Amino acid sequence: MISNPLTMPPVEMLADKRLSPQELAQMQVLAHPKRARVVVTGLGAITPLGQTPDEFWQNLLAGKSGIGPVTLFDTSKYKTRIAGEVKEFDVTKYGVDAKDARRMGRATLFALAAAKSALTDAGFPDGLKENERAGVLLGTALGGFVEAIEAHNGFLQKGPDRMSPFLPAVILPNMPSFYVANYFRARGYNSTVVTACAAGTHAVGAAAEIIRRGDADIMLGGGADAVISEIVFGAFGVMRAMTTRNDEPTRASRPFDKDRDGFVIGEGSAILVLERLEHALARGARIYAEVLGYATNSDAYHFAAPDPQAIGATNVMRDAMRHAGITTDQVDYINAHGTSTPLNDAGETLAVKNVFGERAYKIPISSTKSMIGHSMGAAGAFEAVACVMTLRDQKIHPTVNYETPDPACDLDYVPNTARAANINITLSNSFGLGGQNACLVLSKNK
Amino acid sequence: MLASQSGVGPVTLFDATNYKTRIAAEVKNFDATKYVDAKDARRMGRATLFALAAAQGALRDAGFGEHFDDSDRVGVVLGTGIAGFPEAIKEHHEFARQGTGRVSPFLAAIILPNMPAFFVAKHYRAHGYNSTVVTTCAAGTDAIGASTEAIRRGDADVMLAGGTDAIISDIIFTAFGAMRALSTRNDDPARACRPFDKDRDGLVIGEGAAIVILEKLEHARARGAKIYAEVIGCAANCDGFHFVAPDPQATGSIRAMRAALANAEIAIEQVDYINAHATATQLNDPAETLAIKTVFGSRAYNIPISATKSMVGHSMGAAGAMEAIACALTLRDQKIHPTANLAAPDPACDLDYVPNVARAAPVNIVLSNSFGFGGQNACLVLSKFK
Repeated sequence: MISNPLTMPPVEMLADKRLSPQELAQMQVLAHPKRARVVVTGLGAITPLGQTPDEFWQNLLAGKSGIGPVTLFDTSKYKTRIAGEVKEFDVTKYGVDAKDARRMGRATLFALAAAKSALTDAGFPDGLKENERAGVLLGTALGGFVEAIEAHNGFLQKGPDRMSPFLPAVILPNMPSFYVANYFRARGYNSTVVTACAAGTHAVGAAAEIIRRGDADIMLGGGADAVISEIVFGAFGVMRAMTTRNDEPTRASRPFDKDRDGFVIGEGSAILVLERLEHALARGARIYAEVLGYATNSDAYHFAAPDPQAIGATNVMRDAMRHAGITTDQVDYINAHGTSTPLNDAGETLAVKNVFGERAYKIPISSTKSMIGHSMGAAGAFEAVACVMTLRDQKIHPTVNYETPDPACDLDYVPNTARAANINITLSNSFGLGGQNACLVLSKNK
Repeated sequence: MLASQSGVGPVTLFDATNYKTRIAAEVKNFDATKYVDAKDARRMGRATLFALAAAQGALRDAGFGEHFDDSDRVGVVLGTGIAGFPEAIKEHHEFARQGTGRVSPFLAAIILPNMPAFFVAKHYRAHGYNSTVVTTCAAGTDAIGASTEAIRRGDADVMLAGGTDAIISDIIFTAFGAMRALSTRNDDPARACRPFDKDRDGLVIGEGAAIVILEKLEHARARGAKIYAEVIGCAANCDGFHFVAPDPQATGSIRAMRAALANAEIAIEQVDYINAHATATQLNDPAETLAIKTVFGSRAYNIPISATKSMVGHSMGAAGAMEAIACALTLRDQKIHPTANLAAPDPACDLDYVPNVARAAPVNIVLSNSFGFGGQNACLVLSKFK
């Protein structure tokens, strides 16, 4: 019998690690005046709550849920039988040939659709035309893992001689980035980061860095994952990380609520077109927002559980703001990681208090995952899209299913109803398995 | 490698009897308990264990002792092709046989590809920048480039950078076999990997990890550290051509080399040695030769080029990091390791590949190439420290 690795100290034992006045003073501005400014000029999102950024956003504002019974596999033997699935998805609508699509993983198909939408939105309906200054940087937790397991089932049944020569195209985690570059003719920088549940946020931030340091003019940054499957439900189930509120799917993801009992798995892809400011201005592009900075680090604490002192999460927010050249007073909204697990939400609340001190109580915070679940490597990219829309519309989407206050989660989580507010700067958190932390700072375009 | 020794032999990690390819470059006599507790080791993938071992060696060599001090100025970026994949498949065997109740709660610690970087950060107490890049066969080179950039932009003072993979397994041999990418020279393992040779017939799979410590120059100086070499440039891009085959016109790899030289702010005349990607596949070696000729013009014939993979096979995400170490030692010792098994010239590969015998040469600047599945290209430029 293997003990549960997630057995952790109770929430009451979480240590307080507030920053000292000296540390807060050190957070003053470390801007990079010479480096390029990076703006968001296009959005694409294939989500459990809509397959365009606007549909997704309107549903978030309305507090709708994209969570329902699992249809992608037979869950009758599983304790958790709900997920945030992308429904009625047809990749051929995005110009991908049906035969090619059969040779790609589901995460790749989501990424191709999100990239096509984002490029069209940004004014590149014909793709990037061999542009060597256009690149791709996507995040994924597991890429083609589910398809690899399916291939292994075939291998077990039929033996080694029946293996498809297209297997690498399906299972390698860099394939979403490859196919996006291949389909839309982006010939420049290309990479894939696999920083688990932080990968989408990390990828958007790292893609902006590629432009800032001069290696590209245009980057497609975002994330993709499609992990709703037997083995992943088996693995998360045994870690007791998932909710079992199967009879009330839309109320199952309850970040910051006292009765939260784990996360709901989601899926999909979101991709942002990031562009050097001068490049965007020169072609008269519509500018949604500016990427001010990002940071990434590791708790170096436990492979699955967050550090109860939230040191890594505290540092990553502090570093992202330093990178962005802003102070704690300037943050108007926080899009939380907010997974609805007992440990994350309390740890994240503590980290926000560590960073912002008394001001933590005055910053509206909401959880996109309350409505679409946790889509792993895509999650941070969905949340970046939500932040961009927040800046555009000056509206904050709610945290749904917030009913019973938890003393360990006592901040303003924008419960259940959207809110209008003046928002100039947003901060988005992502924390993941393997202690991966990432934080992205966006601002209204000026 | 200077002695042209081969690390390739018969596969022992699984029963390869029924496979067309039955050879690999395995890490032999590896005892993980020298680096981690035996119980912890059972809960980690082989690629993670290699990474922990390599990191310990690098820390000690750099004079950091047994671990860092929880500093958030020390980070980790590792590259991997598919760390944890063979273990995931093994776990799936159990799962398929016994059903859901039997999944290990440690599964995530084994199968997620970011776990080598996590365990290195945890074990050696590096709390700063942390990332894992999965740019397949270019990942090791890419990770060193990404780590360099993290230091350059001020996000870290010290980075543990490199790559790890451990994929010698039935499903991988089947997949690569179906693509006909592997050498089948089973009766002569040491001579199976023959980059640039006319009779090359595919790659040999290797495994392992290599990690280097990168450090901000002022930081290294302040602590009186021994300096092996300077990282002066890096670049990464994508062919966007085919999911496994290299672009025969090599436009992506040409651009990657040029971008790395531009990033390093050096001219083609300054490159003294090229550590080639050189997998010994039919397609890679002539395309890489063409790319070098395109970038360097007539000078291509005067630059010594060698293939580390001729002796250690292709260890995927670890390969570029092993090659970076070969480059650093080339700069230190002013000696170039040979390309082993180069016997019959191929008209499509007509450069100076330093055949079979090591060579002394004045080497100030080296270029290392890595090209991988998904058209991933990465190049790294190192120089002797002055």
